[in-house]
Amino acid sequence: MMERLFSLETVYAMTGIVLLLFGIMTWRDRSNPRRQGSAIFWLILGLIFIFGGIMPHWVTGILVLVMVAIDGAGRVGRSSLAERETVERVSRGARIFWPVLVIPVVTVIAALLFRRFGMDGNRGALVGLGFGGVVAMLVALKVTSGLRFAGMLAMIDEGRLLNEAMGAVNILPQLLASLGVIFTSAGVGDLIASGVRQLVPGDQLFLLVVANCLGMALFTIVMGNSFAAFPVIASGVLVPLLIRPFGPDGVDPALAAIVTLTAGSSGTLMTPMAANFNIVPAALLNLRDQYGVIRFQFPFALALWSFHVVWLWWCIRATAP
Amino acid sequence: MGIGLVLLGMRLRWRTTVVVVAAALVTGIAAGLPLFSATGIWEELAGGAPQWVTRRGPVGIIDLLGKAFAENRLMTLFILTLPAVGMAERYGLQEEAGRLIRRVRAATVGRLLVVYQIFRILHGALGIRLNGHPSFVRPLIAPMALGVTTGGIRTEKVKSAAAAAENYGNFYGQNLSPVQAGILLVFGVMQGLGIQLSVWDLVRHTLPIVGFSLLLAGLQFWWLDRQLRRNGGE
Repeated sequence: MMERLFSLETVYAMTGIVLLLFGIMTWRDRSNPRRQGSAIFWLILGLIFIFGGIMPHWVTGILVLVMVAIDGAGRVGRSSLAERETVERVSRGARIFWPVLVIPVVTVIAALLFRRFGMDGNRGALVGLGFGGVVAMLVALKVTSGLRFAGMLAMIDEGRLLNEAMGAVNILPQLLASLGVIFTSAGVGDLIASGVRQLVPGDQLFLLVVANCLGMALFTIVMGNSFAAFPVIASGVLVPLLIRPFGPDGVDPALAAIVTLTAGSSGTLMTPMAANFNIVPAALLNLRDQYGVIRFQFPFALALWSFHVVWLWWCIRATAP
Repeated sequence: MGIGLVLLGMRLRWRTTVVVVAAALVTGIAAGLPLFSATGIWEELAGGAPQWVTRRGPVGIIDLLGKAFAENRLMTLFILTLPAVGMAERYGLQEEAGRLIRRVRAATVGRLLVVYQIFRILHGALGIRLNGHPSFVRPLIAPMALGVTTGGIRTEKVKSAAAAAENYGNFYGQNLSPVQAGILLVFGVMQGLGIQLSVWDLVRHTLPIVGFSLLLAGLQFWWLDRQLRRNGGE
């Protein structure tokens, strides 16, 4: 019973319900010029969250294609209500931080409890995030409008506006991880791996580490997004050429994986393709040089990238047999 | 071929979601996978339908996509935190955070920016997703930094540095939370590749990276202070 209640499926179902509410609110919002497309997009995502575990996979697959088609046709938009003024009838002072601080606290407590009772700490963190979100909603109501039904609706609506402001890219990590799975099934990883093997003769550790981090940074520079590069490099270089050959005693897979991801972040700091982080701010700050932010970040990114290479190489060398 | 499509699509500025799914479909088709597995209602069609639609044996691309998307729902769990965060923002969360930052009495641009970077790292560690350029850097940090400098000679550089401090803090700090997108992406992708990791180990191994990024940024901002001092003296 307890296992069922505090499972990932429960948290997915709660997320799905919130998404369905978002969808209904979007549908009714006449200030959103694309309200119908957007509403259908979020409603479908809600259905996938609630039924993803029991629906046939091909149905989920088709629903994903429909969502992406709606986004591709430019039918996912945002409400113009998002620009409303802050409500500051009474200043809440530092209490306004409570709802936000509650989430990590519940996450960590859940992870510790799960571990205490011999269950998976990963799942504890995720379940904790879910329930943390719910507790945070109660706290948020308490410090703002009070625990009333109208307040609750207003709060879901605020969440909805925030969700719309972020838009369809919210599902991007989920899609990218799926792309990684398909790349693996189609053998793309093996293809890249054999390419790298031809470039790096004799499996020299240092050169393999360079290939891993360089591939990650270059892919990120071209795509403007390290999250998009990671599945490709992980399936093509990191896992087949570093983690598998050296084994879990030789390479700490968690260390290698996270270092690979942030080696890509150096690429993000150097590329105009990551417009949100590098080009838009230059415009926001009225810089004469639209590449001013990139220019400033360049030496930092190069130095930190080199640190990633040396650090990963050194950590593997220290433990490898 | 899929990778080529990703690169082409990004160059042509297609929607990222479209590029990703198109790459998945093209890669699967190029590898000779059918669209659907021969299960459920497709089982009866397996004999008659064209080979590329469904056939017995291989797993279909659409099935793979659906399965992976459902298994990776954990990456989008943060949706559940949006109502609370949205409500707090409506009642002045960012104004209050701004008030906290404004209390910082930094003697130099460099010190202010290091403090701001730490502030953003803490945001990340608490699992708060935020694009700080419009909400903090432009209205608050850049003007504060310009206020500390005396001469107006290097305003371009000071503003760029403020934007950089935001990126430095944001990119590396977010991996300090086990429920942020970066950690969950790594966790999910590695799981898909058959390697089970712990999100807490991923967070633990982020610490040295964050430490070094802070050290490097500190050096760069100290150097900026030095340049500003020289120019201000002239």
